[in-house]
Amino acid sequence: MEFPFRKIIFSESETEKIAADFSKILAPSDLVCLNGSLGAGKTFFVKKICSSLGYDSVSSPTFAIVNEYNFQKKIYHFDFYRIKKNLEIIDIGFEDYLNDSDAIIFIEWAELFEELLPKKRFLVTIKLNDDNSREISIDNLK
Amino acid sequence: MNILGIESSCDETSVAIISDDVLKTNLVSSQDFHKKFGGVVPELSSRAHLQQIVPLLRLALKESKLELNEIDLISATAGPGLIGAILVGFIFGKGLSYSLKKPFIPVNHIEGHIYSGFLMKEKPEFPFLVLVVSGGHTLLLVVESFSRIKKLGSTIDDAAGEAFDKVAKMLGLGYPGGPKIQEYAEKSNGSKIVFPIAQLKNEFDFSFSGLKTSVLRFIQKEYGESSAIPEKELFDIAEAFQKTAVKSLTRNVERAINKYQLNSISLVGGVAANSFLRDEFTLLGKKYNKKVVIPDLQFCGDNAAMIANRAKNLFDLGETFDLDYEPFPSFFSKYFQ
Repeated sequence: MEFPFRKIIFSESETEKIAADFSKILAPSDLVCLNGSLGAGKTFFVKKICSSLGYDSVSSPTFAIVNEYNFQKKIYHFDFYRIKKNLEIIDIGFEDYLNDSDAIIFIEWAELFEELLPKKRFLVTIKLNDDNSREISIDNLK
Repeated sequence: MNILGIESSCDETSVAIISDDVLKTNLVSSQDFHKKFGGVVPELSSRAHLQQIVPLLRLALKESKLELNEIDLISATAGPGLIGAILVGFIFGKGLSYSLKKPFIPVNHIEGHIYSGFLMKEKPEFPFLVLVVSGGHTLLLVVESFSRIKKLGSTIDDAAGEAFDKVAKMLGLGYPGGPKIQEYAEKSNGSKIVFPIAQLKNEFDFSFSGLKTSVLRFIQKEYGESSAIPEKELFDIAEAFQKTAVKSLTRNVERAINKYQLNSISLVGGVAANSFLRDEFTLLGKKYNKKVVIPDLQFCGDNAAMIANRAKNLFDLGETFDLDYEPFPSFFSKYFQ
């Protein structure tokens, strides 16, 4: 997979394929930020990446703020949707999570608190189009 | 025996005391603390738990007419949830246990919900089916005893409560979404809109992500954006969504009733406050002649009474725990089959 990556997709299986390809380059300490409106498919994309990595029980972290998955790999799956101010994120120990070099970290609604994010990160943007298609972009920010 | 329960797994701090099977008090921060102590708008933070836990304990003791040294057993939520939040109540409970020299029992938050029907006068009878529906969880289980729980299904994406909140947001109805959707749905005369119910590999699993996207597509296609929806049609969309969400829950309950030998059915968790869901669930119980147990509203949302209640089961089972027992952010229960 080369960055920046852009593709318009029309089915779930195409999303799965992109997620599978993307999962191959992910390594511990990588940060993946996901942006896109409600219903764009951010959780679905993370779910499919994790299935490719060998973990099938991913569900939405909206309520919990962060879900932790420990299998052969360690994953922190965040959602900033419910957060009202950046102090709340700092207060739950976000910096400690970020500094865990053993884990791959996913953050949904990351753009809400962009100021807290390290410069080096993958940025996944999912856009819902009017014709039921979706545009998936992945940038490798440095 | 006086049992102290402490809950701090997410947004709410809660302290409860049960004395010889009688619930003396069940204080929940968002409802009680802010009312009684004034203070700031609740925010999601470990610091908020820290500020509230001691005043809540003092008030709980006062309302129960007990002194701290009359507490015989201390229990706190050990997970799952937000680790920073859990730690506040959990470490506080351990500290009390150490200083009072009374046993400490860590409780799984979900097990707290599962057995919350036992806080009612009319209790579930084993084996019973339980549907756990909250902002963070959607689970269907058969409970065979106080130490044996069989999981039938769970959500594969969003939790039921989350779907209510997010659809309310899409419709521009504000927060919290559950009560808003219910309020708007009740004003509809019955809509003709049909949203799909997901068909899944495991017949007892749930999915709400597709329903959420269907509502979004419907709004985009018919109106462009939510602010362009006439009020009457907001009622209809809310009604159609609520009907579909509730149907996808009760459909699986009905499947389970037909497959398993059950004496009762119980509906628990924050979304159990939804009156349409309560009504439909109760109707299923009547249809199949099963005893229906739905806890009072104060036991539906996150609360410490359910933690103390579960701690009593564990104590009666003879379970003991060392003070070096660690909390768990992810789901863990040795009683799940």
